[in-house]
Amino acid sequence: MEPGIEAIFAMNPAAIYIGLAVLVVIALTSVAVRQRRGPLALDHARSLMGSLDIEAFRNLVDPEEEMFLRSCLPADEFLKIKRERAWAALAYARALSHIALQFSRFGNAARGSDDPSLAELGKQIAADAVEMRMLALATMGRLFIIATFPSLRLPSPQSLIEHHGRSIGLLARYSMLQSARRQTS
Amino acid sequence: MIHWYNLVLLYLWIAPHLLLTWVAFLLLKRRLHVKYPVFFGYVCYEIIEFVLLFLVSQRNLNLGAYYAHIYLGTLAISTALRFGVIQEIFDNIFREQKQSETVARVSLRWTTLFLVTLAILCSVFSSGHTSSTLIAGTAWVERGVAIIQCGLVLFLFLFSGLLGLSLQSYAFGMAFGFGVLSSVELANWAMHTEDLSVSAAKVLNLLPTGGYHVAVVVWLGYLIIPARIRIQHSERPMAEVKEWNLALKRFLL
Repeated sequence: MEPGIEAIFAMNPAAIYIGLAVLVVIALTSVAVRQRRGPLALDHARSLMGSLDIEAFRNLVDPEEEMFLRSCLPADEFLKIKRERAWAALAYARALSHIALQFSRFGNAARGSDDPSLAELGKQIAADAVEMRMLALATMGRLFIIATFPSLRLPSPQSLIEHHGRSIGLLARYSMLQSARRQTS
Repeated sequence: MIHWYNLVLLYLWIAPHLLLTWVAFLLLKRRLHVKYPVFFGYVCYEIIEFVLLFLVSQRNLNLGAYYAHIYLGTLAISTALRFGVIQEIFDNIFREQKQSETVARVSLRWTTLFLVTLAILCSVFSSGHTSSTLIAGTAWVERGVAIIQCGLVLFLFLFSGLLGLSLQSYAFGMAFGFGVLSSVELANWAMHTEDLSVSAAKVLNLLPTGGYHVAVVVWLGYLIIPARIRIQHSERPMAEVKEWNLALKRFLL
């Protein structure tokens, strides 16, 4: 046995298990408390969406833009620029990933609406947000690889941008439907 | 002292099962037994198990000699059912998420494999204080099972949180209750593998039933008052929505 592992097991094993059990209970309780937080504002989801310059992100991951830079710059300079662009794109992907989480939370809350149309839209928003989150996480991984090894060629995350657009559309539909319902009631 | 101890022990044994009948009733009333059949089965099984063990423990029936064997037999079924409930919650979360279902299934498989390996390693590397009684042997197995169940519940929360999947309120309550239950069981069985004094063993007897009581209260609480996130409706005028729609059109063009 490794000396480090031996040292751990030389401690009272029951104390380790009890410590782990307490940690699990604390973690679960904190999740439960967070789930019972106050109401979720539609304005917050909107402002998050507006805060992201998606055009800048699109430009950073545009394959044509990359080809243009490759043709204009010396190889060393190009790799340096590519690395910087990948780091910048990574920040955008992280922001998109966060937005996806908020969309998902919003969509799931909207699923509980008494209005069947709003509930259905909420379901779509939530499902779309999960897909967007998965794409954002995959894109983050890919961009990290590119930032570390800029000579590698990996596919552009266009589908993430498309998903973002689709989510905006769903949220806009939700907002309009909600306003229409409020006006008629 | 002994009088109070016995009262607390008896309360912690009986009360959770009475509350469980309420849980079963609510599951039936809200037709949740259709959506969560394994959990409903588990709740019913726990009630029947309690009645059986309670009857066996009565001195006037002279069945005390069989108690340990019946207890261990029912414990094995109960443990298997708990795995079934965790799987059921998992299936319910990912049923509507076809895209993430494959990733989730593969991750669950690998996590289970990792946890089983961890449980085996824990048993192998901390096998210093063994005793050859049936209960001591069970404690080793149950500690491993508690490690796996604790890990699976944590994985469930972490993975759904990572993907932004919402655990619907009832499923969340179930998973939360099982998380508490398996954590307490982990601590309890870990201590059972140690040499304990009589007084420590007595206090320890209160731990699993106490933890079980908390878990049942959590299940009941989530069935009575489900946690719902409310949406704060926007007071902004329609003009802003139109402006927003224009932004979307610009984006699409």
